[in-house]
Amino acid sequence: MVFEGYERPLSSWLNREFYRGEKLDCLTIILKSGGCAWSRCLMCGYRTFRFPPISEEELGLRMRAQLRWIQENYRDSHFDMVKIFTSGSFFDPAEVPPEVRRKAAELFRGKLVIAETRPEYVNRDVLEDFISVIDEGVWDIPLYVAMGLETTDDAIREKSIGKGFDLESYRKAVDRAHSSGAGVKSYLLLKPPFLTEGEAIADMKKSIREASRWSEIVSMNPCTVQSGTEVEQLWRKGAYRPPYLWSILEILIGAEGHLLCDTVGAGTQRGAHNCGECDRELTQAIKDYTLSGERAPLTSAWEKGCRCMVEWEFVKREERPYCMPLTR
Amino acid sequence: MGRYLIKKRDGLARSGTCTHGDFALELPAALDMEGMFPSLREVRHANVPLHAERDFVERYHLRGGSPAFIHPHSCEGMESGTFVAVPNWHTALRHPRMYVDWLLHMKGTVPPDTIWYAPTSANPSNAALLIYSGFDLFDFKCVDLATSKGLFCIPDGCFPKEWMESGICTCRGCESGDLSLHNRIALVCEINLAKRMMERSQLREHLEVRCRASADQVAVMRFLDMAYSCVERYTPIARSSVLKANSGDALNRPEVKRFAERVIERFIAPSWNTAVLLPCSARKPYSTSQSHRKFRGVIRRRAHELIVTSPLGLVPRELEGLYPASHYDVPVTGIWDREELHFVSRVISRYLASHPYQRVIAHLEGGALQAARMAAGACGIELEESCRTSPQSAESLERLEDLLDGETPMKRDHTVQGIISWQFDTRLDMDGMSIRRKGLYREVWRKGKRLFGFSRDTGLLVPTFEGWALLGEGYRVRIDDFVPKGDVFAAGVRDADERIREGDEVLVTGPLALATGRAAMCADEMRRSRHGLAVHVRKVLKYG
Repeated sequence: MVFEGYERPLSSWLNREFYRGEKLDCLTIILKSGGCAWSRCLMCGYRTFRFPPISEEELGLRMRAQLRWIQENYRDSHFDMVKIFTSGSFFDPAEVPPEVRRKAAELFRGKLVIAETRPEYVNRDVLEDFISVIDEGVWDIPLYVAMGLETTDDAIREKSIGKGFDLESYRKAVDRAHSSGAGVKSYLLLKPPFLTEGEAIADMKKSIREASRWSEIVSMNPCTVQSGTEVEQLWRKGAYRPPYLWSILEILIGAEGHLLCDTVGAGTQRGAHNCGECDRELTQAIKDYTLSGERAPLTSAWEKGCRCMVEWEFVKREERPYCMPLTR
Repeated sequence: MGRYLIKKRDGLARSGTCTHGDFALELPAALDMEGMFPSLREVRHANVPLHAERDFVERYHLRGGSPAFIHPHSCEGMESGTFVAVPNWHTALRHPRMYVDWLLHMKGTVPPDTIWYAPTSANPSNAALLIYSGFDLFDFKCVDLATSKGLFCIPDGCFPKEWMESGICTCRGCESGDLSLHNRIALVCEINLAKRMMERSQLREHLEVRCRASADQVAVMRFLDMAYSCVERYTPIARSSVLKANSGDALNRPEVKRFAERVIERFIAPSWNTAVLLPCSARKPYSTSQSHRKFRGVIRRRAHELIVTSPLGLVPRELEGLYPASHYDVPVTGIWDREELHFVSRVISRYLASHPYQRVIAHLEGGALQAARMAAGACGIELEESCRTSPQSAESLERLEDLLDGETPMKRDHTVQGIISWQFDTRLDMDGMSIRRKGLYREVWRKGKRLFGFSRDTGLLVPTFEGWALLGEGYRVRIDDFVPKGDVFAAGVRDADERIREGDEVLVTGPLALATGRAAMCADEMRRSRHGLAVHVRKVLKYG
């Protein structure tokens, strides 16, 4: 049986991405898969973005159809880099059948590929096999394994995220990735629930320092309030506030190396936000920094300031686990 | 560990002196709590939201420490004198229903003589509500946060800091242009004001004014009123202040509902054929007013007198001297709204169903008459109406006289039986009793023995030991084997009749002595407190 059906990925877009001092054209695709095997993270709103239980054969067909759609809609010459997300683990064979993975490798041969996965699916044989297909000698690291480490603090990862793995298992996965010739991209989550603004900043600074030892690329994701999540329930009940944009600026300005920072939802009540007056400008400064690696937009926004800086400083200094969140 | 000597209670609110180590504090108060309890600054990664589920709380809620953190799912095992903090209480203020559920659950579990700290919650506009809810300690974080946002805090809310320059306040902070100082002073003032209002038993009236600035605060007050069975027990049986029924919410006050419930459920009426429903008077007790002197001159004890009034519903003549019947004020416009009509007519119909008369005469007009008609309709009673014009008019009084023609007068004064039944939920055999006047005092005697006095403050009956012997088994406070020297403290109380409210007359009974006295706290507090005055003792009788 050949499935000739039409299947679009959940989302896909082209943008520019900063990589080792250059701006690359990057295709991002979000594939609909069998779904994350873990699906328990408190902030994750992608848990329902999956096929209902279907046979492995049908899953394979429908995922291949999505790759075909990509092939038909994006010209190969328009991008150098591909980021693949599945709302789960690209290297989990139950979520993404091996033949789909192989098709993807064939499709993105010669590209710089970043694929997201949980550490338990980082398997040397699988990575080597994948690299052998995509690698045409263009990139010295043709594949990056992207893992949501979120924080290097096991207690916070357990209580505030519910990630289900510890630093030790992440580090072992890093070793497996490196020894198979892949690079590592680590995602860190700024201000998961149950942390004060001050605790969240301190945790992020520490996590950046530590994660940078093990990963070539570090990306900071400020926590957002996604629908249907535990974080959303906490937010609705007034028990959670996303981070201030000032906190992001402080972290990025103070960081040793260059960081990527996701700005999805920034400036809205559900995302990182300030008072509403300076949000747009700060978000743009963060975007400019992420894409250029230049700190100037950040420092000039910081120096310009805003009336809400006093409030943020108060929150950073005075918010405690027994009286939070102080603001909305 | 501290010790809280509560000097004044009203509902859930309290004030008094707390001792902690070397110093003493007058509560309620706002303090730099992290200065007083430096460990608060060290708490890390310990957030547990109020909404958190039980297993999360069991895993992450910090136990021990001072102040001790409590959570709706983890508030057992606290001891008297503990400083307890309810983490993140400021987030409860936006969820009125949960605020009340959580509060009452924790208040019912933690011993009453503990010191309650509400972190980051208090500002000038909600301090009255927090104190009314039974919190004693506050910090300055909420007002300092407002300062950082450039907000000027007053009891009416938070406003742009430019308001500080418009002469609204002339405190030291405003004079020197120091917003932070003003905001802190405003909070302290508001706490002190609420404390004063509580000490004169008018915190509820004060709250009814303050809460209007916020829908959530009004909702908290109403949900607390709806939790009648939890809140009524903390409400004193009598106050020396006037109950100002100046808002619709007064209809739902626990003391108003309790008065009506006792009139319906406990009050024993004289077995008499005829009842007359009368309008209330501005002057209290009613019988001292000119209008009531006229009515009584016509009735001449030929009918049982019942006064129809908002917000209490129905006040039998025998109970007119009791709080709040003798101590309320209500705006008189002559217009009764639907809520008043509904409440009052329901009290009348329930009363008439439990206290049947052969004839019910309504000597009423306006809203009171309408309420009586609604009640009669609801319980299938035919109302005889005696007023075509004002109840005080000669024509109306004449008609009342005509309707009572042929009725025989009651021979006996029923006041003592009426009050006893309302106050002690019991029946008394009145044979041979007489009321004697000694100057301003009235006393009940039988066979040369004094049985009861009338309290001049509250109108309640004060039984002597001989009086108590006639009152069954209720309203007893059981103590350990000691002879009270002076007052009885909570530490010595073994058990207490759960119906006892602050201000009730009680009999203290123990293996070595009996004592009469007035309860200084309700039974629930006597049972669950270690410290504090439980009974003001009047007289002690040693056995043997």
